Amino acid sequence: MNWGVRAVSIVAAVGFCFLIQTVSLGFGADIQRLIALAGLYVTLAVSLNLINGITGQFSIGHAAFYMIGAYTTGYLSIQFLKNSGMPGPVWLLLMMLAGAIMASLAGLVVGLPSLRLKGDYLAIVTLGFGEIVRIIVVNSPFDVSFFGVFKFFTFPNLGGAYALDKIPAIRELWLIWLLAVVCIAVCRNLLKTAHGLAFLSVREDEVASLAMGVNVTRIKVTAFMIGSAFAGAAGALLAHYETSILPSTFAMDVSFIILTMVVLGGTGSITGSALAAITLFALPEVLRRNKEPVTGGTFLAIVIGVIAAVVLIRWFQNEYHGSKNKKTAGYFASVAASAIVAFGLTFALNAIPALHDKAFEGSKLRMVIFAGSLIIVMLIRPEGVFAHHEFSWTWLKKVLRIKPKSEALAT
Amino acid sequence: MSAVLSLKGATIRFGGLVAVNDVTFDIEKGDLFGLIGPNGAGKTTCFNLITGVYRPTSGEIFFNEKLINGLAPNRICAMGIARTFQNIRLFQALTVLENVVIGGFLRHKASLASALAYLPPAITETSRLEREAMDLLEVLDLADVAQTRSADLPYGKQRRLEIARAMATQPELLLLDEPAAGMNPNEKEDLAQTVRLIRDQFGKTILLIEHDMKFVMGICEKIVVLDHGEEIAYGPPSAIRNDPKVIEAYLGEAV
Ligand SMILES: Nc1ncnc2c1ncn2[C@@H]1O[C@H](COP(=O)(O)OP(=O)(O)OP(=O)(O)O)[C@@H](O)[C@H]1O
Ligand SMILES: [Mg+2]
Repeated sequence: MNWGVRAVSIVAAVGFCFLIQTVSLGFGADIQRLIALAGLYVTLAVSLNLINGITGQFSIGHAAFYMIGAYTTGYLSIQFLKNSGMPGPVWLLLMMLAGAIMASLAGLVVGLPSLRLKGDYLAIVTLGFGEIVRIIVVNSPFDVSFFGVFKFFTFPNLGGAYALDKIPAIRELWLIWLLAVVCIAVCRNLLKTAHGLAFLSVREDEVASLAMGVNVTRIKVTAFMIGSAFAGAAGALLAHYETSILPSTFAMDVSFIILTMVVLGGTGSITGSALAAITLFALPEVLRRNKEPVTGGTFLAIVIGVIAAVVLIRWFQNEYHGSKNKKTAGYFASVAASAIVAFGLTFALNAIPALHDKAFEGSKLRMVIFAGSLIIVMLIRPEGVFAHHEFSWTWLKKVLRIKPKSEALAT
Repeated sequence: MSAVLSLKGATIRFGGLVAVNDVTFDIEKGDLFGLIGPNGAGKTTCFNLITGVYRPTSGEIFFNEKLINGLAPNRICAMGIARTFQNIRLFQALTVLENVVIGGFLRHKASLASALAYLPPAITETSRLEREAMDLLEVLDLADVAQTRSADLPYGKQRRLEIARAMATQPELLLLDEPAAGMNPNEKEDLAQTVRLIRDQFGKTILLIEHDMKFVMGICEKIVVLDHGEEIAYGPPSAIRNDPKVIEAYLGEAV
């Protein structure tokens, strides 16, 4: 291994985190918060990708681990930070560790049933687990007793259905992004070694993995524990950034959003998960900022444009038998043609009063965008945008320099 | 001489069906042993019993005199029994080389932590396994497709890759489930040579299931015949060929 390159990358990564912090300090508090949340979503998506994409365990309750990290450390900080006398960042690091440990213990609990369950059944268990965690918090405080006869202890008050607030604020943007970078690096490292292949083998074929002596049980539980540890650490960062957290912050739809990021990015691709996390997080926020209402006509025009593009692209994929370059040109042409049609339609449709007068805010379209992009990707690229590819310099070179067929065959 | 593998009255029932019924045989070290029988005779189920996919309803299975009934498949593999699958089960999205590296993973000595941090122990172990995998690919004549996605290989090569992957676990006993299925005569000829090579050069004991009688009779020294889960004959190819029970079991099928 080249230690020099390694040292440079580590310095660059940490430098990148501080750069993000410095740049975002130039913006207002609301933008800063978005940059922080984006970093957390990268961690969440990449860590879920380890469980779902790399190990192939269909988990849809990732928000539960995020929640466990947030509530555990929020509660600990309220109780102990004042007396600890520790500087903020050090305490925050400690809390990330605490959140990670609690969440990964929970991951162990969820990972164990996953040994017997597959696919949909496992998905239901993880979904149920998410709800259990949420309901425990909503009902806190409560007594844990043996049929009301013998009281073991009182589960602490976590704010119930209301917020757990007055969590001491420790806002370290660089730490949030460092967690994302570390999460990416850990997954990337794993995939570069034989250990990573063992994780992939579980996804590919459990029976064959077992027959090759791979300890499938151990790998599944490990994947759950590592994945949830990162979500827990992200939760700790969230709690101290927001200072006030609600059970609804971690509701089922958050789990689905994280899952959507993984699936859209390309199951198994770290690059895909990270980029999809940023894109899918930013898109609705951009819309929210855009106060200008969307009229029914514009919306309809966009929908028609998107459908036209999908239909055309699918035609080029399935019916058109030209060279690869011509096909790519066809895709671009489809998108361009559809965009022009949509643009034209905007004027035509908005001329109809019924469509023009019915306007709504762009931010209301958040869920429509998630659902829509998922459908589009499933139609034209079911393996996700990045499929199983990863970003690397050699890959970039290969993509940019589109080889002629003969040369591609020769190599 | 003590047997490498011995089945003593191995039986498994699926509801009303007795898929393997009171099967008893011994395989000695260095044997090239054949397991044959008509479709649905229970051959693959026998493999599944030996490799721990199913636990026998009754009877015992010993590997080097250790009882292995009901152990987990990965434990049994670690003890030294590796198999290939009749309905090819490669890690499809992975390359040929990666498939074989996974076969070697059970001999991997670096910790998960060193893999997560990409530290020297994990790096050297990974490259050691890759080197070993390449050596095996040479033996099975797959070195030129090492970087190909395994699902993209032609059928015959997928079968060879199954063998390479099983060999990567460095087993003492190798179970091959219809390794020649779907191969053309040339490929079968190559395969027969490879199987002999694995036994002679690598010193493996081999148990193989095969429908192609010419193939089985050509390379196996001892054969067990199953029919409807029952063992109906045992002996060298010359005896099996002329056994009236075997001929009857195969009647209607081209022998
Ligand atoms: N898990 C199972 N549940 C129920 N029945 C099974 C199961 N596995 C195998 N069987 C039945 O056991 C019988 C033997 O099957 P097996 O696959 O061992 O046959 P085989 O000798 O390998 O045949 P072939 O030559 O077609 O591969 C068949 O009737 C099959 O349907
Ligand atoms: Mg069979």
